[in-house]
Amino acid sequence: MKTRARFRRAVAGGAVLALSLALAACGGGSSAGGSNEFHVLVYGDAGNRVEKQLVATFNKTSEVKAVLDTVPGADYQQKLQTVINTPQAPDVFFNWGGGSIQPFVEADLLLPLDDMIKKDPGLKANFLPSVFETARVGGKSYGVPMRGTQPVLLFHNKKVLADAGVEPPRSWDDLLAAVKELKGAGVTPIALGGGDKWTTMMWFEYLYDRVAGPELFKKALAGEKEVWESADSRKALDMLRQLVDAGAFGTNYDSVKFTDGGSPALLASGKAGFELMGSWAYSTQQEADPGFARNDLGYGTFPSVAGGKGDAAGLVGNTNNFYSVRKSTKHAEAIAEFLKLMYSDEFVEAQLAMGNLPTTTNTTKFLDSADNPEYLRYQYDLVDKAPAFQLSWDQAYPPKNMTPIYVAVQQFFNKQLDADGFIKAMQDLTTV
Amino acid sequence: MVSPASSVQDGHRPGLGWALPAVVFFALFAVVPLVLVAVLSFTTWSGLGTPEFSGFDNWVTLFHDPVMIKSLWLSVLLTGLGVLVQTPLSILLGVWAAGPQRNRAVLSAVFFVPLLLSATAVSVLWRALLDPNFGVPAEAAWLFGDGNLLGSRTGAVAVLVLVSTWQFTPLHALIHQGATRAIPAVLYQAAEIDGAGRVRQFFHITLPQLRNSIITSVILMVVGGLTTFDTVLILTQGGPGTDTTISAYYMYQKAFKGFEFGAGAAIALLLVLVATAVSLVVVRVSGFDKMAGTKEGM
Repeated sequence: MKTRARFRRAVAGGAVLALSLALAACGGGSSAGGSNEFHVLVYGDAGNRVEKQLVATFNKTSEVKAVLDTVPGADYQQKLQTVINTPQAPDVFFNWGGGSIQPFVEADLLLPLDDMIKKDPGLKANFLPSVFETARVGGKSYGVPMRGTQPVLLFHNKKVLADAGVEPPRSWDDLLAAVKELKGAGVTPIALGGGDKWTTMMWFEYLYDRVAGPELFKKALAGEKEVWESADSRKALDMLRQLVDAGAFGTNYDSVKFTDGGSPALLASGKAGFELMGSWAYSTQQEADPGFARNDLGYGTFPSVAGGKGDAAGLVGNTNNFYSVRKSTKHAEAIAEFLKLMYSDEFVEAQLAMGNLPTTTNTTKFLDSADNPEYLRYQYDLVDKAPAFQLSWDQAYPPKNMTPIYVAVQQFFNKQLDADGFIKAMQDLTTV
Repeated sequence: MVSPASSVQDGHRPGLGWALPAVVFFALFAVVPLVLVAVLSFTTWSGLGTPEFSGFDNWVTLFHDPVMIKSLWLSVLLTGLGVLVQTPLSILLGVWAAGPQRNRAVLSAVFFVPLLLSATAVSVLWRALLDPNFGVPAEAAWLFGDGNLLGSRTGAVAVLVLVSTWQFTPLHALIHQGATRAIPAVLYQAAEIDGAGRVRQFFHITLPQLRNSIITSVILMVVGGLTTFDTVLILTQGGPGTDTTISAYYMYQKAFKGFEFGAGAAIALLLVLVATAVSLVVVRVSGFDKMAGTKEGM
């Protein structure tokens, strides 16, 4: 009898686990939209200040109210995929455009915005075409840019570099020399929040772009897996190995994260010289340490690689984030009005104040009156002139590859994988 | 009015209706999801559209997946280490806390604080404490070296064991405290007359009397250990590489990061089977199913 009772309890224990899976799969979370409101789901971070402001502005005049829901960054994608097909789904949601919404389009969950655009051509014409294109799938528009463009830049601490007599590097050799100098000066040359893993991945994205050009990754994504074995691929890996072995990241980077403020604090406190990070690092630093962001936070492009096929002006990162609309929403008209705010002067000014660079046509006229016109103008020109702007690898591949990519980049850095192991891991990824 | 006792004496058992709420609850929140997960494990489903039946695909992939096999060993390792570290600690703490002294009552209340915090809060707290540049390791380099605790296999496993020990030892101490207080004082009085010291009393009276509570607490540790999830999610995210990717976390990665709900469901089901098997073995080996009393002849 008692065995049976134990057995039941054990089964119950296991079932609770199973339950959590099943329940989560059914949705839950944010409440279903009331009759007179629509929900806007956004990636939770420092940038939410602008979204809050715009929702407030919208609600001042609108009968139908917008309700802003945020999900802490790391959990965003998961939460979205889980709720998108349920009655709790948000009416409007943040995404990365292109590959990140393609599955939703295929499942017929998104509202094409072309009708809205017909009524208000400004909903398309007021955005830079190259950025707006990112959220077009199968000839229809599914997203409106709603934040800033986010190229990945090489940030540095001006004071640390000056103390060590180091100039911001223009070439790979400069970078290696700077690493040596900074190490000699007793600081970690490059802050890396390796615990997040996508931080490590950025180094691969840029090295592959510089050495092999943007074509290699495009081919890999299209299913030509042999490109991972090419001489260019091996050269990029060799150079990364060399950088890690030179002690550029110190030894404890895998215990540090960007997302919990660890690696930005390293840079701000002068314990590290460089950090490779998306342009959002500016608002992160501004939030955490305004004095440092204003006075000592320097930035530059990723160094060029002599003899590499990639252009030194090539960028990686996120072209912009987008608002997409669920097909089954009851408030399409109100949402159209809400989306118009995304090219309003208020939107542009609020984004600029955050250090984000909107991609609307009216952006240029506010650049000079913004808080940090130099930083913004710099990025604007970079994005404008970039011959290629590669979307982050984890966003470019279908979602099931995210963990394998993260594991591979981390294991290559900590030597659990050699070049052959890394190449095999990348070839094992699922392409469309 | 008929009292329950008299109805049993009359040979009438309470009506089945009394069991209905529990049965419905169990069926709704345990049996049905379990069946659904079992069905899901034979399908391919990304969370969008309808699941497609794919036969044994998920299972075949699972048994050829080195990460899956490693994750099972890691689950067993973490659970085993947890039992080895927490059991002696919680017995000592529980026995100590069972004493009648006022200061022990106050200190026990303090010890039980970690139990009140959510595992997530505990993990966030420890992550901040163990930051290699701004946390404790930075101040105690002689002990932690470069502080790469979460970046090395041994370090990450040690941190996970430490954090769950810190959090769950109080629970098990509580179980042992209660059991210790239930030991008849007459046993100790007799032992004292026979000249047994405190150490001897502990090993020959307290420990044997705690037998059943120890088994209870070990089973709780085993089932809890095999389903550990939140500490891994926040502290290591399965890293470095896949060195702390335990089965429960691997299930989460597959289902909620990769949106392969079929594969996730297969791992969940496997975990249910393993957890059930392990606790059955513990029950059998320990003789707990016979529920032998510890107070014969008293």
